[in-house]
Formats: sequence, structure tokens, C-alpha cells
Amino acid sequence: MKPKNQRLVLALLALVAIIGAGFLALAGLRDNAALFRTPAELAANPVEPGRDIRLGGMVAANSIREASDGVTIDFIVEEGEARVPVRFTGIAPDLFRESSGVVAEGAFDRRGTFIAHTILAKHDENYMPPQMADMETRDERLQRTLER
Amino acid sequence: MHAFANPARFLGIARPLTPWLGWGGAALIVGALVPGLTVTPPDAVQGESARIMYVHVPAAWLGMAGWGGILVASLVQLIWRHPLAGVAARAIAVPGAAFTAICLVTGSLWGRPTWGTWWEWDGRMTSMLVLLFLYFGYIALAAASDERASTSRVAAIFGVLGAINLPIIHYSVTWWNSLHQPQSIGLTSSSIDAALLWPLLVATAGFSLLFGAIVLMRMRAMIADIRVEARLRRMAEA
Amino acid sequence: MDPVPFIVAAYAVALLGSAGLALQSFSVMRIKERRAESVRTREDI
Repeated sequence: MKPKNQRLVLALLALVAIIGAGFLALAGLRDNAALFRTPAELAANPVEPGRDIRLGGMVAANSIREASDGVTIDFIVEEGEARVPVRFTGIAPDLFRESSGVVAEGAFDRRGTFIAHTILAKHDENYMPPQMADMETRDERLQRTLER
Repeated sequence: MHAFANPARFLGIARPLTPWLGWGGAALIVGALVPGLTVTPPDAVQGESARIMYVHVPAAWLGMAGWGGILVASLVQLIWRHPLAGVAARAIAVPGAAFTAICLVTGSLWGRPTWGTWWEWDGRMTSMLVLLFLYFGYIALAAASDERASTSRVAAIFGVLGAINLPIIHYSVTWWNSLHQPQSIGLTSSSIDAALLWPLLVATAGFSLLFGAIVLMRMRAMIADIRVEARLRRMAEA
Repeated sequence: MDPVPFIVAAYAVALLGSAGLALQSFSVMRIKERRAESVRTREDI
């Protein structure tokens, strides 16, 4: 290949890469670039039943209930005051737990329950060794006892 | 700054500096990752998989710092016509792309056990993938341009424009609901406990030194090429 | 889910990738610097 043609090919590759980057950026920015909607956003702007969305928030404390079939779980995703009941059938990730972040993919049914087909766990920016986490929960427990 | 404009003077510093950066970086990486895998405690919530951050975070830092370096070198080249700036920017591109790719792959390997997914079209992940494509574009542009590294403008302008992606990556976790957790380390504070933090800082320093050594080696290779060309041209004219 | 395979894979990717890039950069540099040196010292061409 002549050097001139080679340069042309490389320039075309550069163009393809740039357009690809722009396309990916737009794909990422659709839906205002948000990966999920929170319960408070859904309370303000409800979506019709059956439409596939992602719901994200905190799993409410003491809200996980396992159904008798062993694979279906019911829980509540909350954000401040807003709460959404969720039902999921399948294997949840290890980090799916109460008072922790979650992103559920699925749609609302007619009664307002969010039927999730996929669950992703979302962790926070804090990293600490297990002993310290135990200490912290002990502190929290102590605090609760004192408040009572 | 123009003290380094003379390639001979630059080489006088770069030659002895290369092994120091390379071996020093390797020593720090080993000194951070071995204890990071064996001695330091796991994370309370994520368990052992949090150890992936000791390679993931340095790679993310270098992927972004690499384009920051391209931005600075491109500006120096465009504004001051510094002859080595274009060489430096080109020398950064390949290692920058490599560490961005390492960041994406290790992040995916971290996401599967913790989040339950290899990949989501999430603001942070998508903007980091865009950075990788920007690197590819830069590398292709730099290779395609007619002129020599020290004078080519097109790649330098692309290097400046592409830097717009850096703040997007940084703030992606703040601006949009994201699966990726927010920033853990700020300028003055960290939400990573000290017992887990020190290997991260040492590994980041180690990979950064190694990155510096790689950039210097690539710059030296390009300077050697330029010298051979210049020599052959002079001999042809003589 | 057992995290060990994921940790091993992530470390392998990071270490092999950066070591490979360093070695490649080093060998290219050595070849080109030697060529520059030989051109500089040869007076016949």
C-alpha cells in the first residue's frame, strides 16, 4: 500500500473511532443518562404498567420476605418517604441485602407492584474491614437502645 | 521549560531516569499488591472482591491522567511550539489506551461478583469506554498525519478537544443515577478505611512510575527515529 | 459467588498488560536507539 493510501485509511479509521465515540456517548446519554429512576422520581412522574424501566434505591430494612416457593422474594425499595413494593423471582446477587442499594429491571403490574426480572446490587463508596463494620453496628445498636 | 527543548539535554535526563522509574514502579507495585492480596482485611460488605480495586483504581487514574498529559502536551505544542511536546503526547497515547482498557476489564471482573452484571450502559462505564475510543482516534490520527510528531497540529487539536470527556467521567457518578459508587477519595478525605487504603495509594504510585518509564522509553524510541531520519537526510544532501 | 477467580483474572490482566507494554516499549526503544547509534558512527554512507 502506498503511504498516501495508508494515511487515508488511518484517517478514515480515526473518523470511524470518533463517530463511534460520539454514538456511544449519545447512547449513554439517552434517558438523561440516568441508569435508573428512584421511587421519588416515579411518585412524581408515574410510568404506565408494562413499560420496562429500571428502578433504583435502598432496600428498606426488614422488608425482604421470601415466598414459600423458595425463589420468589418480595421487598420494598425506598428513597426517603417514597416506597415501591418489588417482586423478584430468581437468584439475587450476594450483595443484595436490606439497607443497601439495589437496581431492579422490570415493569409495574396493574396493582402497582414492580415485577423485576433482573436485580443488580449497588454498593456505596465506603470500604472498611469487617471488624470495624461490626463495631459500627454495635454502636448503632447502642444508639438505638439509648434513644428508646 | 525550554531547557528540555534540546533533545540532547532531554536524553541526558531521560536515560538515567528510565530505569529508576521502571524498577521503582515495579517494586512499589509488588510491595502494594502482595500485602493487598494477603495481609490487608477484606471489605465488610463486598468481601474479597474489593481487592480488585488495587489494580482497577490505578488503571482508571492512569487512563484519565494519560489524557490529561496529552492535553497539557498538546497545549504546550500548540502555544509554545515546543518540539518535544508532540513527541510526549504521542508517547502517552498507547499506554493511556492500555490502562483504560485494563480499567474497563478489571471493572467488569469486579462488577460481576459485586453488582451481578458484567456491564451496564451506566454513565461512568460508558464515559470510560468513550475515553478508550478517543485514545483509538488519537492514535490513528497521529499515525495518519503527514507531518512529524513535533509539528503536527491535527492530533494536538484532537487531544485538546477530547479532554472534554475527563470532567464528564469524573462527575458521571454525581450527575446521573449510576450503578458505580460515588467517589471514595477526595483531596482531603477518604471513605476508605486506612487499613484498606494504603495498598491502594502505594499501588497507584507504583503504576504511575511504571507509566512514566513507559512514556520515556517510547519518547526515546521516537527521538531515535527522528535522529536517524535527520542524519540520513543530511547524508543524502551532502 | 466465589470471588477468587475474578480477583485472579483481574490481577492477571493488569499485571500482564502493564508488564507486556513495558517490555514491548523497552525492546522497541533498544532497537531504535542502536540503529540511531550505528547511523551516527558510520561515516561511509
